[in-house]
Amino acid sequence: MSPDLVVTGMGVISSIGQGKASFIGNLLNGDSTFDVMRRPGRMRESSYIGAEIDEIVFRSAISKQVQRAASLSAKAALVVLQEAWEEANLSEIDPNRVGLVVGGSNVQQREITQLQNDYRERLIFLKPSYALSFMDSDICGFCTSQFGIRGFAYTVGGASASGQLAIIHAAQAVLAGQVDVCIALGSLMDLSYWECHALRTIGAMGSDRYANDPTLACRPFDRNHDGFIFGEASGAIVVESARSSEKRKVKSYASLRGWAIAMDANRNPDPSFDGESRAILDAMQMAEWFPEQIDYINPHGTGSVIGDEIELKVLRSCGLTSAFLNATKSLIGHGLSAAGTVEVIATLLQMKAARLHPTRNLENPIDSGFNWVGQTSVSHQIENALTLSMGFGGINTAMCWQRQP
Amino acid sequence: MTKSNLLDLIARYTREIIPDLDSHEFIASDRLVDLGANSVDRAEIAMMVQESLGLSVPRVELFGPKNIGELADLFLARLNVA
Repeated sequence: MSPDLVVTGMGVISSIGQGKASFIGNLLNGDSTFDVMRRPGRMRESSYIGAEIDEIVFRSAISKQVQRAASLSAKAALVVLQEAWEEANLSEIDPNRVGLVVGGSNVQQREITQLQNDYRERLIFLKPSYALSFMDSDICGFCTSQFGIRGFAYTVGGASASGQLAIIHAAQAVLAGQVDVCIALGSLMDLSYWECHALRTIGAMGSDRYANDPTLACRPFDRNHDGFIFGEASGAIVVESARSSEKRKVKSYASLRGWAIAMDANRNPDPSFDGESRAILDAMQMAEWFPEQIDYINPHGTGSVIGDEIELKVLRSCGLTSAFLNATKSLIGHGLSAAGTVEVIATLLQMKAARLHPTRNLENPIDSGFNWVGQTSVSHQIENALTLSMGFGGINTAMCWQRQP
Repeated sequence: MTKSNLLDLIARYTREIIPDLDSHEFIASDRLVDLGANSVDRAEIAMMVQESLGLSVPRVELFGPKNIGELADLFLARLNVA
């Protein structure tokens, strides 16, 4: 039997806005901010195209002392968690019954690179707080101390599937009764020029073709795609049982009906038809869904040549050609560890808005036999949505979301 | 460099780490722990002072001072040795 879990709070930040209202508004408008990246530590001898977030706006509850000490990833985590926390009214819950799962471990490479460059010639004066900030527990530390979370908090890592993996862990913890409410947080992976360069070197990150035209570079599923384009983002999702949400009289966005994780037994970055298919079929089986019931798919869709191709072959073989399909990454870029969470948020906000966002730069789909949302938004009430993520190291995740009656 | 200069330096870096102390009037008997600085904050403040003085004090010696006046005295003694 499919589980009785709901989402009662969400918070998001991306290059197209902080907070759900501006995020969904700009998604539906098809807005994006791709350009040559300018954040210190993002370029060296070479430049990379991406979508960077604006200044983060803090509300008074988060002290200046915390803001000063927090890394960019931790700052993003704090503001998205605050938005989700307040919406779900989590202050009413016993802090011992609240858990936090952060998707993405050791995501703060850019700040580490900056700090190591800065102190290379004066190691004796190294900031003592580096002993905290390099640890995988640092984002959990900022979040649990700010919000008084006392159930559990840890990170899970699944490369670009980390964001969905965090939601899956949160769901499992609630189902197992470990906590009453669990927050899943897709953390902002803060790439330095080292990671950008390596990802370009293996051909994963674009774009050579559009090096001089950044607004055209990010084009999942288009014939001229040539790799993913990075986008800074973070998102938080509150998962709990329907009964628990009813006790607090909080509204929910959707029910989580099924999910699955499938591994390819493969260390490498290449996608797997078999692994992706198993994730989708297992998630649909858990949800007790037939393919025809799914009317919207939020695919992984990074813009990788081989990744996009395999993903569409998988969807076709699973009988999923009639559902609407768009690519959130075409507007905000690839958030890596954050992507899975942020794209579920995009899915549930489209469900609420009864409208689907455009797929930017989708001029000639590599397979036109799908129900694409092209360059303009479409009015549609999502009933049953499938969301997909895949990560280097052969991980595939799929999740099934049902509109609340 | 006088003790008063050193107290100002300690106050400046303490305010940088704990911005809420912006309008606090620092006196020699202030204890960093009472001002809300945890152990990592205190290590950060001591390190920033040392760097600005071009001085490295063995960590074990930093455990001695009971307040910022005594911390200033420690740095002053070290400066005079150097």
